[in-house]
Amino acid sequence: MRMPDMPCIMPPNALGHGMTPASTPKMPYSPHSQVSTPSKIDPTQIPRPIAERSVIIFETRQGGQAAIPPAASSEFIVKDTGNCSPRLMRCTMNQIPCTGDLLTTSGMPLALLVQPFSLPHPSEEPIQVFHLINCINTEYSQQPYDITTKLSNMETNCISYLYILMSFAGFSNDTPREYFCNLGPDGRRRDADERPELCRGTVEFIATKELMVRDPMPAVYFFLIDVSMNALNTGATAAACSAISQALSDLPEGPQTMVGIATFDSAIHFYSLKRAQQQPLMLIVPDIQDVYTPLQTDLILPISECRENLEQLLESIPNMFGNNRVADSAFGAAMKAAFLAIKSTGGKLLVFQSAHKLLQPVDKNLKTMALEFAKYQVCVDVFLATQSYVDIASISVVPNTTGGRVYYYYPFSALSDPAKLFNDLRWNISRPQGFEAVMRVRCSQGLQVQDYLGSFCKRVPTDVDLPAIDSDKAIMVTFKHDDKFQENSECAFQVIMLYMEAREILVPVPKFLSSFVIECKELLSLTDFCCIFSVRCYTTVFGQRRIRVMNLSLTCTNMLSNLFRYADLETQFTYVVKQGKQLDQVTSTCINVLQSYRKYCASVSSSGQLILPEALKLLPLYALALTKSIGLRNDGRLDDRSYWASIVSSISVVLAVPLVFPRMIALHDLILREDDESLVPTPLTLNSENIRDDGVYFMENGEDGLLYVGNSVHPAILEQLFGVSSAAVPNQLVLEQFDNELSRKVNEVVNEIRRQRCSYLRLRLCKKGDPSGDFFRSLLVEDKALGSLSYVEFLVHVHRQIQSKLT
Amino acid sequence: MAADPSAAPPAADPDGPDAVRLTWNAWPRSKIEASRCVVPLAAAVSPCRAPDPSAPPPLPYPPLRCKPPCSALLNPFARVDFAAKIWICPLCFSRNHFPPHYAAISESNVPAELFPQCSTVEYVVGGAGVPGAPQAQQGAPPPPVFLFVIDTCVIEEELEYVKMAMRKAVALLPEHALVGLVTFGTQVHLHELGFSDLSKIYVFRGTKEISKEQILDQLGLAGAGRTGFPKMPGQPGVPQVNGMHPPATAGVNRFLLPVSECECTLSTLLDELQPDQWPVEAGNRAIRCTGVALSIVSKDLSEPVRSHKDLDKDAAPHFQKAVKFYDGLAKQLVGQGHVLDVFASALDQVGLAEMKVAIERTGGLVVLSESFGHSVFKDSFQRIFEGGEQSLGLSFKKWVDGSTNTEELVEGFDQETAAVVLARYISLKMEMEEEFDATRWLDRSLIRLCSRFGDYRKDDPSSFSLHSNFSLFPQFMFNLRRSQFVQVFNNSPDETAFFRMLLNRESITNSVAMIQPSLISFSFDSPPSPVFLDVASIAADRILLLDAYFSVVIFHGMTIAQWRNMGYQNQPEHEQFAQLLQAPHEEAQMIIKGRFPVPRLVVCDQHGSQARFLLAKLNPSATYNSAHDVALGSDIIFTDDVSFQVFCEHLQRLAVQS
Repeated sequence: MRMPDMPCIMPPNALGHGMTPASTPKMPYSPHSQVSTPSKIDPTQIPRPIAERSVIIFETRQGGQAAIPPAASSEFIVKDTGNCSPRLMRCTMNQIPCTGDLLTTSGMPLALLVQPFSLPHPSEEPIQVFHLINCINTEYSQQPYDITTKLSNMETNCISYLYILMSFAGFSNDTPREYFCNLGPDGRRRDADERPELCRGTVEFIATKELMVRDPMPAVYFFLIDVSMNALNTGATAAACSAISQALSDLPEGPQTMVGIATFDSAIHFYSLKRAQQQPLMLIVPDIQDVYTPLQTDLILPISECRENLEQLLESIPNMFGNNRVADSAFGAAMKAAFLAIKSTGGKLLVFQSAHKLLQPVDKNLKTMALEFAKYQVCVDVFLATQSYVDIASISVVPNTTGGRVYYYYPFSALSDPAKLFNDLRWNISRPQGFEAVMRVRCSQGLQVQDYLGSFCKRVPTDVDLPAIDSDKAIMVTFKHDDKFQENSECAFQVIMLYMEAREILVPVPKFLSSFVIECKELLSLTDFCCIFSVRCYTTVFGQRRIRVMNLSLTCTNMLSNLFRYADLETQFTYVVKQGKQLDQVTSTCINVLQSYRKYCASVSSSGQLILPEALKLLPLYALALTKSIGLRNDGRLDDRSYWASIVSSISVVLAVPLVFPRMIALHDLILREDDESLVPTPLTLNSENIRDDGVYFMENGEDGLLYVGNSVHPAILEQLFGVSSAAVPNQLVLEQFDNELSRKVNEVVNEIRRQRCSYLRLRLCKKGDPSGDFFRSLLVEDKALGSLSYVEFLVHVHRQIQSKLT
Repeated sequence: MAADPSAAPPAADPDGPDAVRLTWNAWPRSKIEASRCVVPLAAAVSPCRAPDPSAPPPLPYPPLRCKPPCSALLNPFARVDFAAKIWICPLCFSRNHFPPHYAAISESNVPAELFPQCSTVEYVVGGAGVPGAPQAQQGAPPPPVFLFVIDTCVIEEELEYVKMAMRKAVALLPEHALVGLVTFGTQVHLHELGFSDLSKIYVFRGTKEISKEQILDQLGLAGAGRTGFPKMPGQPGVPQVNGMHPPATAGVNRFLLPVSECECTLSTLLDELQPDQWPVEAGNRAIRCTGVALSIVSKDLSEPVRSHKDLDKDAAPHFQKAVKFYDGLAKQLVGQGHVLDVFASALDQVGLAEMKVAIERTGGLVVLSESFGHSVFKDSFQRIFEGGEQSLGLSFKKWVDGSTNTEELVEGFDQETAAVVLARYISLKMEMEEEFDATRWLDRSLIRLCSRFGDYRKDDPSSFSLHSNFSLFPQFMFNLRRSQFVQVFNNSPDETAFFRMLLNRESITNSVAMIQPSLISFSFDSPPSPVFLDVASIAADRILLLDAYFSVVIFHGMTIAQWRNMGYQNQPEHEQFAQLLQAPHEEAQMIIKGRFPVPRLVVCDQHGSQARFLLAKLNPSATYNSAHDVALGSDIIFTDDVSFQVFCEHLQRLAVQS
């Protein structure tokens, strides 16, 4: 985008509006965007995100090259033509710098965001699943090493479209006869295009028995509920019990789904729900300094055997502890005890905690504990329904190490939060997920994995252990150069994940893959091609042990301008979000990138211009939003910031951007809308000029949904939306659907947003003039606020910084 | 000299009206003198012995105390100045004024506690023990407490027996009695009976020792006992609203409930009680946590002790046989056999009689594990003692003058007590000291005693004689040397522990029976009569009845056995024979009935394999070495042990040595 120099007034052209749709490869290329310096900046001309309305069909490879993926936030249908879907894997830049120096110069990060179970578009072809019998015949079945060699061999072939000379060449003797095929003149197998496992970017294999270290484990769900005084008084216990009770029906049926339950205050209460027993048996473990399980068996039972007993128990728990006077909550010990109960099988541990008075200090012990949980494949999700400080920073260590997450309900409202709690729990157990996963990312020679970031446990430097992995979780992988690439060569990334389906276990659980991964490493040295392998090995909810292999191959370049041109803003921004930087660092990161572009790619421009690379033109806006986000703001509660930090560690690209840069829509005029293309109306710019005093607005970031009600909203609208004509609506909002069109529409829109975000949203009502209204306004990113800049001011600030650096 | 005015030995109870027996009824003059007595000066006291029916009824008022720190109670040995209304404490010689309500006291009107024959009296004391508080205001006595402790590391069948017995026991308990239940296997389960929604159990781990404070804390009882938490003994009938436990039950009452309220819960619990669920590794025995169970019993009971003063404890750890498990802290902890243990088989025998059945059926013995057992036993014993003092105010005193010379010492010697004291002493020493040679120690003590108190000329064994007060003592020692207390290798460690425990607990008379069994002969020739505990007492036409306390043996002579096998007793013309056969059984039943725990009854024939139970106890006056002069129908014992005669010869020779 080129904006005129300060003295000039240049008529806006097609590119100058900053209104071009987000760049896709089809789009005419614009070298860079420019924004004029402050005084003349036209606030309507500065770059803002454009909502993409139409559905894009995206072929992952075109013309023998990786295609540039559409924006993560847009709607697109992927056709896997050799690279995996961008939903599964996105790189911060769609061309790879040939050298490390070039990367450093650009100021941009090189990282992959891998979301192995991301939800596909309904119109997409499902990932193809293959049996490994093709390459494993009986003569090898007794030799695990050879089998894994074969497996790796298969993986190698999966990326044969990458003109890999080796193909089966190096291993032709090992190729099973029925799988043998001659190579073509280009060195590829002649049948590569007919064999999906050889031409798809993503394939899945069903692991064979030989790859399994232990028998299939049942899918275990263990519920742990706080019943201390505070939890009972606030209704948190009742909400948890009710949520669990309702969510039971979402658990996979079948004998392989097992459940267990325990409650805790200053002691831990286990329950034996064996059907034969007339009454449930409550077993109390009072020694929280050194916990143990009260029974060896019967603490977890197949859901089919204990459903009624469990439902009864859940119904009676809130009353049973009705006047519990114990204020202490042995959170850590309870988790440890529950862990012991499911240690032999692994599984999900769902903790409902609310007391603020933790009996044991939450400290380093939790880290040690978390590592042990992960080792035994126990994933912990913590639901915090509280009204005071609970030290999320410490607590979140456990879920973040075990592949779980923290859910936070603050201040817990017995009125509005139970619905969210239930929906969160329900989604938690019903979303696509795998257990006992191991993931490893490999890449072409020239690059190496620098680090992994996300909710997992890393015991060896190369692998990521995930007791559970679900569709919402993303793992960030950073890379560094250890060699040079040739111009126009391909750099490939491969993610291999071995996992266990957890819904119904039909096939034995695959081998837990440390050995497998080690073998892969040896093989990698043979692959003299530029390829990043994301190898995923995980267990899906259907009990099969599977290996998911995702491949992405990108062109290497020596041109800095290409790096900027093919930069992926959303992924880069997600990278910055996950880095957990301080306020100033965020701004300086942004400035460094822009300065590099200014210095090396825009030499023709005059110095008075702020020049933004087209692909990164929203970087300043997002950076500004980040400095104003809950996680970085200095005026927030410590727990809010810790919570924010805990969720961004595993957040996906598609949710990271809205979390920081929320979406705001007007609700009052929903029925007047003309454009009926999509349910959700076009988002409004995040500044207060868009807020009318007689309007009702909805702002959401994937976590919270804020309903803002102006001062002079027409009572009829209030009546239609909330069933009351005055603004005396409580802040804890339950969005009911009333029998009128507006209410129906609003509910439709909110539900659509919930679907998009895979989140129920914590609804709150914000009223102008009270603190809730102020909070709403503080999220209007473009506004100037106390101690922070407006968008325009921020652009000026960035521009000045760049100028001062250049001189 | 014993100055007890009622010195005449009471016929009814060999342990005397006061249940106090001393080894020496005369004081040695000095420490050196005492050490030269060989047998230590000791008193055996049975404060909680079942009251003698002939004893005066309990006094309905609190006792009078000497001024602190003495605090002794007024007793017949106090000198009373009736004119000045003053009594002088016989212990500290303080002068105490009688309180106003004793104003009517005079030489002709003395209170019962000053009657000379009332050296032992019982007081009924109200809850707080406030002197002079009218009894009517003191309310009903707190209910008795029963805490049942059941081992679940048993096979299902045996657990069923226990359950059956438990049900009977619970049904027989008085309505208001408080009941608690602890079961244990690998872990200890403390059942909270006052929780109606579901079965609530506190689980303690077996591998960890927990202190009393920790347990109280973990059970939420910590504050309760100390801060005078308003407990409601006897009236926990607070209605349970919506399944919530009322605050009043937050204390120990959650675990101890009146039978009437928890009978249902209890029976459900019993129904569902299953053998321990923890898997037993192949080749190993079940791991169980006897120690912790017992420690919980004892710790937990300390709470009721304070709140319910009239305490009947009835704890019954019931173990399966043969498990030795070594624990880091109690390496000698041994639990074996089936157990019915009674800390204080106080007044209410109702539950016990039922438990007995279970034990007999499972062929078990009454055993208490060694380390915990002893401490538990002692603690409880001590507590009962404390409780007893407060509630009953037992006052037992025996006045012993300082004696001056050997003759007086000899006169005051109580050989039975001495034998028992020595037996207890060596039991303790054997437990505490490694390599302790009990036999040698006993021999030396006996020799020293005989040297000190015997009548002889130096170096002339034939001149040796003993005062009648000592006459039985060598025989006691001889049998003690051969008894289960010294010859421990014939028994398992916990059997030994059990024997020792009972030795420590039982009265002198019973303890003597353990050391030296009694033998009664039944024959056509003479009425049943005691005979020597000697192999020579065996005859073909005799039935012998041996009472070795822990076992009762009926031994049929060869001829009797033959007759019986031919069925003579069923023929009308041989009714006399039938009666002869029956008589020892009746006698044995008498013994068994009056004894707890139940002794093992062995019925055997001469030359039968079971006969060893008798032969082991007999003096081997005829062995295979002396078999040449065996009379027809008599028996010999295959042993190298010396006979009593040889033993005495040696003793005489050594005692007179200069």
